[in-house]
Amino acid sequence: MGDIRQSLLPRDVLSAAKELLYHLDIYICNLLQSGRQPPQVDSKTLELVEEFIFHSPNDRNTPARRMSALQELQLLEIMCSCFQEQSRDTVRQLMFSALFNLQGNQADESRMSLLGKLVSMAVAVGRVPILECAATWLQRTHRVYCVRLAQVLVDDYCGMVPGSVSTLQNIHSASPRFCCQFITAVTMLYDLSSEDLTPPLELLQMIVSWIQDDPRLVLITFLNTPLSGSQPITSLDVTPLGGLVRWCIKAPLTYRRDKKPPLTNGSSDSVVEAGPLFSALHLSVLQVFMLLPTILNEKGLYGRLTLLQMESLAALTSDLSRLLDQADKHTHKSSADTHTSSQLALDRLAQALQVAMASGALLCSREDLRAICSRLPHNNLLQLVLSGPVMYYNNIHTPPLAFSPHAAHLPITTHPAHPTHPTHPTHSALPTHPAQTTITSHSSSHNQYPGAVSEKVQRSPRSESSIVAGTFWHST
Amino acid sequence: TVSMMSAQKDCEFLVKRARELVSEDPCAAKAWLITARTLYPSDFNIQYEMYIIERNAQRTASAGRLLYDMFINFPDQPVVWREISVITAALRSDSEDKHAQFLRGLFETLPGRVQCEMLLKATEQCFNTLEKAEMLLLLLKRFPESVVQHGVNLGETLLEAEATENMETPVNCFRKLFVCDVLPLVINNMDMRLPTSLMQKYMLKAAEFYIGYVTRGPSGDLQIQGPSDGGSLKSPSVPRVSQRYVIDGLSEKTSAVTEPWERLLDIISVVGARCEWQGDKAQRSYVDMLQRVKDLCRYLPGLEGDTRSRCCCQIVLCAALVLFRSAFLYVSAVQPALFQGVSAISSGPWILVEDLSSVYSDLELEKGTLKHAHKKRKLADGREKTMSSDDEESLGKGRGRHILVNKTEMPGWSETLESFNTARESWDLLHSHDALETEFKKICAAWKTDSWLWFRIFLTDMIIYQGQYRKALSSLMQMAAVMAPQPGQHSLSAQSSLEHNRALIQQASCYYALGEYKRACEKLLDVVSGLTPPNQEPAKSPEDQGIAKTKTRRGSDLRLLLCTNKAVLPFCLQLMLACFKLRALNDSRDDLSLGHVVVLLQHDWPHGEMLFLKAVDKICQQGSFQYENFFNYVTNIDMLEEFAYLRTPEGGRIQLELLPNQGMLIKNPSPALGVELNTLLLQGVQTMDRHHTVTRGITKGVKEDFRLAMERQVSRCGENLLSVLHRFCLNEKIIIIQSLP
Repeated sequence: MGDIRQSLLPRDVLSAAKELLYHLDIYICNLLQSGRQPPQVDSKTLELVEEFIFHSPNDRNTPARRMSALQELQLLEIMCSCFQEQSRDTVRQLMFSALFNLQGNQADESRMSLLGKLVSMAVAVGRVPILECAATWLQRTHRVYCVRLAQVLVDDYCGMVPGSVSTLQNIHSASPRFCCQFITAVTMLYDLSSEDLTPPLELLQMIVSWIQDDPRLVLITFLNTPLSGSQPITSLDVTPLGGLVRWCIKAPLTYRRDKKPPLTNGSSDSVVEAGPLFSALHLSVLQVFMLLPTILNEKGLYGRLTLLQMESLAALTSDLSRLLDQADKHTHKSSADTHTSSQLALDRLAQALQVAMASGALLCSREDLRAICSRLPHNNLLQLVLSGPVMYYNNIHTPPLAFSPHAAHLPITTHPAHPTHPTHPTHSALPTHPAQTTITSHSSSHNQYPGAVSEKVQRSPRSESSIVAGTFWHST
Repeated sequence: TVSMMSAQKDCEFLVKRARELVSEDPCAAKAWLITARTLYPSDFNIQYEMYIIERNAQRTASAGRLLYDMFINFPDQPVVWREISVITAALRSDSEDKHAQFLRGLFETLPGRVQCEMLLKATEQCFNTLEKAEMLLLLLKRFPESVVQHGVNLGETLLEAEATENMETPVNCFRKLFVCDVLPLVINNMDMRLPTSLMQKYMLKAAEFYIGYVTRGPSGDLQIQGPSDGGSLKSPSVPRVSQRYVIDGLSEKTSAVTEPWERLLDIISVVGARCEWQGDKAQRSYVDMLQRVKDLCRYLPGLEGDTRSRCCCQIVLCAALVLFRSAFLYVSAVQPALFQGVSAISSGPWILVEDLSSVYSDLELEKGTLKHAHKKRKLADGREKTMSSDDEESLGKGRGRHILVNKTEMPGWSETLESFNTARESWDLLHSHDALETEFKKICAAWKTDSWLWFRIFLTDMIIYQGQYRKALSSLMQMAAVMAPQPGQHSLSAQSSLEHNRALIQQASCYYALGEYKRACEKLLDVVSGLTPPNQEPAKSPEDQGIAKTKTRRGSDLRLLLCTNKAVLPFCLQLMLACFKLRALNDSRDDLSLGHVVVLLQHDWPHGEMLFLKAVDKICQQGSFQYENFFNYVTNIDMLEEFAYLRTPEGGRIQLELLPNQGMLIKNPSPALGVELNTLLLQGVQTMDRHHTVTRGITKGVKEDFRLAMERQVSRCGENLLSVLHRFCLNEKIIIIQSLP
């Protein structure tokens, strides 16, 4: 390895980087050939990458070199064609990891910078292999960095040049996996906690059209991820559903009619209103939920895996009650308008909770829901959802038909105690946790939900089985 | 029940909210309903509301999905059934409107299994046989595997319905569905074992339908068309070809049957193959089919048992279908107005009559053959029935008889004659063995072919062709009775009078052929009295140029005569001439007949010049001639000249009694007058003023009359000859008839 460094040193930055990429390629091929499991790029090589590609200052007393903008562009082009031409997925993937996996060191900044430029370029020129690698990267990397990458794309495509959104639009067909991860990251980027954190309308419009065209898009990562649950706990959610639900519920309170729509960049179709877009998005989200029972059943996960986390829902309801309070305080004149917006937000919350629960995307009892919604103002539908449907069977003594077998594997998500929004990324390599989504053992269920017994009486026993029947369609 | 009511209230609340939102924010409305459905999955109204939103927005796929859900989850909801029946009605209808198309599209989105179930259930709920059948047909067409289970049953149901509802014609809605829609599905389904007898029964049902369909009349028994139908009577000579045709109970689209003969042939092919008929190839055409059964027929005597009966069946079915088809093709050319949808461009109607083009030809030649024929015919008539084929032979009129046609007037003449021959051949084949005849008669009885006017027309023409004129006459008499104007219908069109004439002319022709001239003349004078003479004489008849004269004719040919005013009158005149010719010119004296002949010979002059000369010869031989109508009807200048000449010494001083005051002329012959008259006649009309110089002398009273009459006649030369002859027929009808024995 030392020889390589010696041979690289005399070269100019670009040819050294190029030579190193070439070497890396050969090295990884040999690595795979050797059959060592798991194939792991050694630290020496990683150091070379940091030195000759990311130019991080090292302890070896050599002066840190920098690339000119033109050289950097040339390097990006070389990388692009390098990934494009590599026909083996594993080689490509290992190479991408060797280059861009965060190491928790000083090189990470330039790593992120180059990655942003590379992905942006890949979007511009439609380099599918790079987008695919980036999609995997987005699954493994801490969400904070994922959001940063999303930010780069949004900045590049949704701000500067009018009409450039259409370029980004294409990632839907180029790499649905990347697209799905991108949506998840964007929903994190804009959490609608304030007006500044609302997505640009054209971005919103694009996302809505993606999901309307193909609701399964938001489930792509979930569908393609093996169950082993090797996702790092700090990575992005496996679906953007949680983020989208948050958007739709908060939107009526964040986007106010009396205020100017944010970030329209003066593009011609700024006339587009956010309201209908969120309404359509909300419907799409519910429709995606309705797809889930079949999918979960096929995967054998129905009732065992929660796609929406109770914590984030709890955070959402508390955000919501804060926003509702603010809305009450700040509006004096248009109180009727405020009331409408508030009720819309609460209606959507109730709908999302109910449909998510019924479809198996959310595993919890109505009692849990009552707990997290206790501080919210009154809403008819929410009330109905929180108390659950009225059971109307004449013979109250007949044991419920379909509920009990499901109750056997009812849930149960023990939620990890980690804080969901770390303010700083840890600098050490991120550990991989077994499933942020907890697969529960059967035994624990009844103990944890003493309320389940009373639920049995209260709930329509046919509800779950009928939903399954109702969506049978999708499997035909 | 309290909880039941509150659940009810919840559902009502949810649906109400969705309804409030649907126009302003349909997405929100749907979100409400999705939520509602997860809360109360067994509530019908929620799902129905979801369906209604999608249906009203005409979103085919999602509406279809929701309909499916409702069908599965709420199979007992009347509303669902109402919806399904609307959809199945759209499937059955021809309507092209947007909503019907949407509903059909909606149905298409459903999985096949559900379509199948839906149709089956919809069928079960349907009490109208026809609708039920149409529904089941939708099922069978979409799901061939269901044919095995339902095909034959559906067929039998339709046939039963046809029987119980007393359909008057085989062209009815039940039979149409059976033959055109169900039968092909059934017989083409090789998974089914069908007994031969059943297939033969079905085959006959199909044939009866298609024949009935093709030969349906332009109106009347079958319900047709719009209210403007009466308009056709205003232009009777051009029968209106109606493209619109609706079988009672069916829509216009379902009523349409395309290429009926081809469809029938398809069915025969399949049935033939399944019944293991002889001749392994598929039937390519009706002509091939006839050829095959003809060949097969030769082996028939050697066959026994099952093979024989199967063989019989094949021969009879095939030959009968070829017979009916060819007969139809012939009759549709000869009598196009009988049928709906047959183009009337081919003009017509046409009448098959004895060919009289040789009426002016040499007498001697004919005399022998005619007399001979007459005798034999009498003989033949005596033992008519049993020896029909001998009959033909004895008449020498077997297969070699020719039918002459004016090719320019009948463009499709060769096909028409070909059809006639093919039909005859098929008929002969069907009567070549007792076994075949018995089977064929069964079919005829079942189909009541006796009541098929068009077929009777063919049969009559065939019998005429065979020379069985007595039989033909009785058939014609019956037909005339059928076709005579009904009371209350007497003002009917010229068309129907032409039809009536057609039968009369044919009768006249038959009587003539039988040698019964008196009756022949009776009939044709009836015809003539109904005609109006043409305004102008036809340009020199173009008949001859078109007529096929290739083979030597033997005086007993037939001709297809165009049945129009213009063509019929000349024919009647020829026929009358033919009736009188022999009698007038034979050895015994009959001045009246001879006079008629002279009058009639004016027509088509100078074709009859030779006969006229014969007549003159005979008059010369007799030395005198009495015909009081002479000056009424003879205007031909050549003839007048000749008669004027006859009175001259050079002419033989023949005593001519041509004026009504006949006696005077006989008693006061004045040979001198002849010269003068002769001169007068030769000079023509321009010398009219000379009559002063030629009229002198006391004994010249009679001569004067004759001369004046002659002069008058000369001035009449320009008169329309056909009007003159028409008047002759009308005025002298009684004398004409009386002058024949």
